[in-house]
Amino acid sequence: MNTTSNKTGKSGSWLLWLSLLLIVAATVAMVAIPVFVIMPFKAQTAAGVEWSYRLRSWSPVATVVATVLFLALCAKLWHGARWLGRLTMPALLAPLLAVTWFARQNHFEWMFNPLPNADYMRAGEATSVADGDMVMAVELNGEAVAYPVRQMAYHHVINDVVGGKPITATY
Amino acid sequence: MWESEVDGKKLTFHLAGINNQNFIMRDDETGTWWQQVSGEAIHGPLKGRKLTPVYNDELTFALWKRENRQGRILKPDERVKQNYEAADWEEQYAKFRVVTPVDPNDKLSPRTLIAGLVVNGRAAAYPLTALEKQRLILDSIGAGAGVTPLFIVLGDDKKSVRAFERTVDGRTLEFFVKAGDAPVQLIDAETATTWDFTGKAVSGPLAGKQLKKIMALKDYWFDWKIYHPNTKVYTLGEKSPQSKT
Repeated sequence: MNTTSNKTGKSGSWLLWLSLLLIVAATVAMVAIPVFVIMPFKAQTAAGVEWSYRLRSWSPVATVVATVLFLALCAKLWHGARWLGRLTMPALLAPLLAVTWFARQNHFEWMFNPLPNADYMRAGEATSVADGDMVMAVELNGEAVAYPVRQMAYHHVINDVVGGKPITATY
Repeated sequence: MWESEVDGKKLTFHLAGINNQNFIMRDDETGTWWQQVSGEAIHGPLKGRKLTPVYNDELTFALWKRENRQGRILKPDERVKQNYEAADWEEQYAKFRVVTPVDPNDKLSPRTLIAGLVVNGRAAAYPLTALEKQRLILDSIGAGAGVTPLFIVLGDDKKSVRAFERTVDGRTLEFFVKAGDAPVQLIDAETATTWDFTGKAVSGPLAGKQLKKIMALKDYWFDWKIYHPNTKVYTLGEKSPQSKT
């Protein structure tokens, strides 16, 4: 009798262990796939971009759900687990927490810092710009603004208001 | 450059990815993904919507400053200054490989710099080398009643490009660059009016008139072609048959 109940307990816990592994693998894949698909200097397909969008949109919530589920399973397994099992849990939790955090990051803005509070100077005072440097120039309702291309090629996006009109300069 | 408002809602854009070497931006407000080059929403709640383009020029700083003494210019961010492109960045970029498929029958090589225009949905591309040789190119886009006569002209800095419609009060004009002048001055053959690089008639019978600007985008040919596959490509001296290859 004892042996039978032990057996069911064991196979049941194996299923839980498998679920733990699957949760971690699926969550890591969900966050990692768009990173690899929408990588610079690679050709992208329309489907690849579409799936990247979906995964990126789902992952902030999905990673939290996965982490909660993972912790609930761990709580269930903890009591019956041996030392190896108890070491495996944090080892699996680490990548899960890492991707849960990453899903909230915009890694493109790590490479190319945004300028949420951009500073400007008067045309005549701009000594940091060479005469031959290219600028993107806009004029709206009498206000003229220039964005040096060398800076734009790094920041890529500047949100601004020119002549009272909200605009986005992109390069 | 785009208007940030869609349906009266102001959107804040961020760099969010890359699609065939052209970047994707995401707005904080709706989470929609937008393609930078076309301003089109490709995924998300606003999918299918297009941002309204804002006319802008690509000029040298010297030329812009000459035209806009009171203008304001973006200050470099000291924290990331070392990441800004080097002064010779254009030469460096020209060496980057192109990852999108290359058409062997293409007239232009992928990294050819062009000035691209779109008028009434029709696109035309002018290689910068042709503009450097001719200074001003008289052209037309479209045909029949939908034709738009235009010209594209290089500034005296040999880098700034502007394009204009060349119909004034229903009359189509032919423009020429006045030799040796800096700032560049233009003259039309029909009225001998003198025009400046902003498209304004400064002296002569049409003084005070303003030519309608057409946005000219400097781009690599391979990039432009992805988003404007039916572009008419201007080839230098295409009007003389013997120079055709």
